[in-house]
Amino acid sequence: MIRVAILLAAVAANGGAAVRYIGCPVYRDTDNGRKSGCWLVEDEASGVRYDVTAAPTKPDWNHAVLVEGVQSAAAGDPCGGTVLEPARVSVLEEGCTRHMLAAEGYQGRRFALPERNVRPLYEERKRPDRPFADGRFTIPFDYQSRFITYQLSDYYLDATINYALDVQPAGIEVTGFADVRKVEVSGRTIAEPASLARERAELVRNALIMRGIAADRITVRVGRGGAPFVPAAFDGLAAPAARRVDIRIVPELSEARRGTP
Amino acid sequence: MRGRTILGAAIALFAGAVAWGQGATPPDRWWNPDEGRTFPATLDYADATGTLRLLLDNGPMETKGHPFFTALGPNGRACVTCHQPADAMSLSAASVAAQWAKNGAKDPLFAAGDGSNCPSLPQEERASHSLLIDHGLIRIARPWPPKNVTPDFRLEVVRDPSTCNLDPKHGLASSQPHISVFRRPRPVANFKYIEAMGFAYDPKAGMPLPLDPETGKPVSGNLMADGRVPSLTAQMRDAAGTHLAFLKNMDAADIARVLDFERRLYVAQQTDRLGGALDGDGAKGGPRLLQVSAPGRLGSQGTPVWSEFEAWEKAAPAVKAGWTPEVRAFRASVARGARVFREKTFLISDTAGINSPIGFGNPVRNSCVFCHNMSYMGMDVAPGQVDLGTTNKPFADPLAHLPLFRVTCTGRPHPHYGRTILTHDPGYALTTGRCADVGRITLQTLRGLSGRAPYFSNGSAKDLRGVVDYYERRYNIGYTEQEKQDLVNLMRAL
Repeated sequence: MIRVAILLAAVAANGGAAVRYIGCPVYRDTDNGRKSGCWLVEDEASGVRYDVTAAPTKPDWNHAVLVEGVQSAAAGDPCGGTVLEPARVSVLEEGCTRHMLAAEGYQGRRFALPERNVRPLYEERKRPDRPFADGRFTIPFDYQSRFITYQLSDYYLDATINYALDVQPAGIEVTGFADVRKVEVSGRTIAEPASLARERAELVRNALIMRGIAADRITVRVGRGGAPFVPAAFDGLAAPAARRVDIRIVPELSEARRGTP
Repeated sequence: MRGRTILGAAIALFAGAVAWGQGATPPDRWWNPDEGRTFPATLDYADATGTLRLLLDNGPMETKGHPFFTALGPNGRACVTCHQPADAMSLSAASVAAQWAKNGAKDPLFAAGDGSNCPSLPQEERASHSLLIDHGLIRIARPWPPKNVTPDFRLEVVRDPSTCNLDPKHGLASSQPHISVFRRPRPVANFKYIEAMGFAYDPKAGMPLPLDPETGKPVSGNLMADGRVPSLTAQMRDAAGTHLAFLKNMDAADIARVLDFERRLYVAQQTDRLGGALDGDGAKGGPRLLQVSAPGRLGSQGTPVWSEFEAWEKAAPAVKAGWTPEVRAFRASVARGARVFREKTFLISDTAGINSPIGFGNPVRNSCVFCHNMSYMGMDVAPGQVDLGTTNKPFADPLAHLPLFRVTCTGRPHPHYGRTILTHDPGYALTTGRCADVGRITLQTLRGLSGRAPYFSNGSAKDLRGVVDYYERRYNIGYTEQEKQDLVNLMRAL
């Protein structure tokens, strides 16, 4: 078993310390417009209350969450906690007592549409230029989840599907990953089941088929370790990168294929 | 005026349609099957708060022999029986009560199959049709478990005043087990919007939009309270086999004609008896805008939802000076109501389809347009199965007239209710078999509301004020009395 320190020694690119812990979320109702509320999760080991609002998946106040993020000094203190940004939150089955704080003078954040959002069908979409290159995509997942996260995973799924649709005919390799390493986090041993890797890959395969990709063009694999095709999907966070699906799209008329004997 | 007077007013207005040919006797508001009337290009009906208008693209249309208006099966019903033009192509409880008073049990509307609380009951008695007469509710019998689905929950009957769920022939323990739930007919109009696909994905499912198995093409997912069929074609077959007792499939020509009619029809409130023309003085109320606008647009990234009434807010003083005090007050209220609808935020909690599984968080602060987000229509651009709590305890109001079921989740517990749920209607879960979907109901359209009380899928809000009051109780919003009245006035103007 690998022991993971509560406060990881790793220092992210922005200079902040990385954290990974499990705790119960508290909602602060800043009442500053839609989606303006704050999510705070205390790390019981250090006593630090972190602001995890930047995570694409927000907590459920009835459930514990796995928090993964990097401290961001530049983000100020809009909610009453040390800001984690980037951050990821995974909602766990473990129960918590719900609790809500008043604004207490904190403004929260005015909602702004995240950069990673799926565009509507009625908007014109830029098509890839010919000759088509091999496409490499990554879809991230929350811990123990095979749900396509809104305004994160769906953005990458949409990019994958659009490219696959644009460059057909193409061979598509879908490789699922799960974080099967047993690690201790906040006194709990956590690990994903190995089966989740294939479930994630099958989910992506089904999504491709539902959007019109022929099933016989898609192969599904299970992967282990390695770096994701698209590291940006994890914003520099190491642990979430182990929970993903990588997709390689090889257009039959690609430059790469032409050179293959 | 409190909306509670609406029902009475609607009955009083049964005298007939307005705007019919001068001097001619207006035809009855109620459309019987096989009448052979002409459906005009523009059709107006007085309703509880003003005038409802229906527009038929490329109308008029002869209805003689048209399958929407023709009794296709032995029970004497046609589609129009439960989708009445004067009721915004739905069916108001007031209209039902009037039909019972006029014809009693012999009216095809009260057919035993779904126009009574249960087919086993004595059909000549009013009490056997009480859910339809008093609440405008049609019996929907769904096979349990659903075909080709292994549910992750068990269903038990806690109580059943309808008697049908415990009925030896029609109930859950019968040789062909069915669950009977009771729902309002949905309006058959404005389908350009209902069928529109704004995005390729259903964020509530985390997957691409569902596919129609008949065509292999994606569909909006916004049809039917429980999403049991994916397309209008499938809905027609479902309705013909159940509501019309027409067991043979409709033929392709019939389906094409019904589709053609339904997709050409638009309905909305056109005038208000206090506020006058809803498209007057720069406003854009009424069905004309629906007829000419592009569907499936997200209001937050385009035309704000209910900005149709912005012109009344911004009208020059000289223009407003020409309005009577009543008109001025009503129009100001509607414009405020539109803002309240868009801007008054509240905490939404424990609501499947919003707080789970998408990742918005539980709770999340937002306003009515969070879900009612489609420009011009106020539907959900994404498929809109949401559990508002209108059918689930403890949020549902006491509804002693409806059956109550106990759902026991056998797999993972429900994300908000736990392992046991008391529900009057499991909704979407009757289609998916998933415990997490219990009580999720497809969002309804918000047009032509004044013509089709009561509201919510189970008719639990008897008027528009009842709708606002339910949301206030459910989410502890803190609407002021003025805001409540403004929302009511907005909704009656739609």
